[in-house]
Amino acid sequence: MFGEKAGNLIKELSRCENVLPPYNTDMVKEVCAEIKQLDDLNRSNGAIVANESGLAVNSNPLYPTLRIGVTALKRNVRCLIAYHHNRLRILRTMRWEFGSVLPADIKVNMSSEEVEWFCQYSRNLAKYMRSIGEDGLNLGLDLRPPKSLYIEVRCLVDYGKFELSDGTVLLLKKDSRHYLPRTECEELITKGIFQHIL
Amino acid sequence: MDPDEVEFWGEKSPIQIVPTFNSPAIYLIGGDVGPFRATIPCRVPLWVALSLKRQQYCKIIPPEWMDVDTLTELRRQEKAASSSFVKMPSEHYMVEAKLLLGGAADDVPRADEVKTIVKDIWDNRMAKLRSSMDSMIRNSSMYAAVDNLTLMEINSVRPILPHALNQLYRMKMVKRGLSQGSATLTHTRTAVSFTGS
Amino acid sequence: MEVDNEGETEMASLELEDDDDLTLEQVLEMMEVAWLNEKFAPEILPHKREIVELLLGQITYLEERLQQLPSTDFKKGIHQMEIDRLRYLLTSYLRLRLEKIETFHKQILLEEEKRADENEALYLSPKELEFAQEFEQDLEAHLAANMNFCPNWQESTATERIVQPNLNSMVFLKAKKDVEGIAIDDGKAESSDLIDLASGSQVLINYNNVASLVKNGDVHLI
Repeated sequence: MFGEKAGNLIKELSRCENVLPPYNTDMVKEVCAEIKQLDDLNRSNGAIVANESGLAVNSNPLYPTLRIGVTALKRNVRCLIAYHHNRLRILRTMRWEFGSVLPADIKVNMSSEEVEWFCQYSRNLAKYMRSIGEDGLNLGLDLRPPKSLYIEVRCLVDYGKFELSDGTVLLLKKDSRHYLPRTECEELITKGIFQHIL
Repeated sequence: MDPDEVEFWGEKSPIQIVPTFNSPAIYLIGGDVGPFRATIPCRVPLWVALSLKRQQYCKIIPPEWMDVDTLTELRRQEKAASSSFVKMPSEHYMVEAKLLLGGAADDVPRADEVKTIVKDIWDNRMAKLRSSMDSMIRNSSMYAAVDNLTLMEINSVRPILPHALNQLYRMKMVKRGLSQGSATLTHTRTAVSFTGS
Repeated sequence: MEVDNEGETEMASLELEDDDDLTLEQVLEMMEVAWLNEKFAPEILPHKREIVELLLGQITYLEERLQQLPSTDFKKGIHQMEIDRLRYLLTSYLRLRLEKIETFHKQILLEEEKRADENEALYLSPKELEFAQEFEQDLEAHLAANMNFCPNWQESTATERIVQPNLNSMVFLKAKKDVEGIAIDDGKAESSDLIDLASGSQVLINYNNVASLVKNGDVHLI
């Protein structure tokens, strides 16, 4: 049935919530093929209907077929657009969650066009953030209202040397715990190097 | 709005402290605090008070209403008002109660009783709110006066109440034969659901 | 316990338009209201770039002064806490706007164009507008790359792809002064009731009927 494959694409995406499933190249190709097929069909049917000018358009027996064909084509196009659009929305959320470098297990699910778009989006975002105020403002920090100046964090990996803004150098070893100013930790928490101990 | 965002607003409320130190005023963007003279009470925002208390630089004076007798009377009034809400002595009573009972319980006389009574008042108000919400949705009312509700209480009905009313409105529009939703994509989420809260 | 007075910062007062001297405290209040409004309004609101940049400047200035204070000075902690709170407010405000720009970019760009044509003030700051335009371009380019096999896909879906905010969302608001004659849109075809709001009163109402009041500051959202 027309539109079924396109519907499946959308269902696949809605099942995944905010996780990015692999780009379904095969299914997209199939929908494209169906669109082309419908387009050819519609053109030829349309030509026939136009030629039979003796009959009023909507009493032409081919008319319902034509209508269905046009609607199915539109629906497929809409589904494809929605599929691509919503994948970008998920990627956008990930930019805010992971920063401009995505983990490998997400990248592997992206199409090359998506990788390109993500690059452009990151660049656009970074450019905007740099333009705020005099020195720019990193909107990826301060995501929650501050509760206290200092927080306890555990280091999740062997990070090595880390310099604080007052010049102190810390040695961050895996599983070491530290009591540090919240602002200094935020970026490392986002990157998954620190874990905030509540 | 997240609960910690509601707290963020509540933390601006002014409160009295008794400092244990002397210091000239601190010029904050939000207004000067101090000067501080040991044993002389002064007013600071709640977040400043909590920070000072954490470092044992002050004792916090609970707000006038945070006492067992006043609260007991308030609870009685709230119970008596079956279909309306009593005006709370503070716009942020729940936030202040939570933060003070959590971070400065030793400065609150009969803290346990205070905690219980505040909770009773909250529960009572929330129950009334839920049934108002229910009748609003049932009657598809598109307007309500919410004068004596505090921010935290209003926040507790988000996003469900505004969202339900939005849906009802759209249904009414469709019934009226306006095709407002069909030609263009209208965003069905309300503003508050943007950040997932 | 005596505390050293060195390195104390002073409150600056500043002049904005109309030769009104606004204190920093008032500017901060305006920012807080702007945050609340932007959080709860379904559409993007006129930008407050001047206030944002002013407060950012204050943060930079304060942070420089703070570095001169010894870290054992308890005042440093208080100032730092306030800076953290302010930075949260500002970044959150800008993030809220970005999210709306990305969701409603087509609609917003159309409206900004109309405003420019009619010589009205734009809602987006210049940099936000640049961001929005580039975002739109990148998005269209991406879709084109994936849909180029399909003839006419852009035209046939052009209006359908414009995502609009739901201006009839219900919002909670608080009146800052007495306001008269607000229409209540009940969804029914009959002419709506009018209500008056006393200063300080709070209501739940359809956003559309109060949008202009939010923008001119007579009420704010909660």
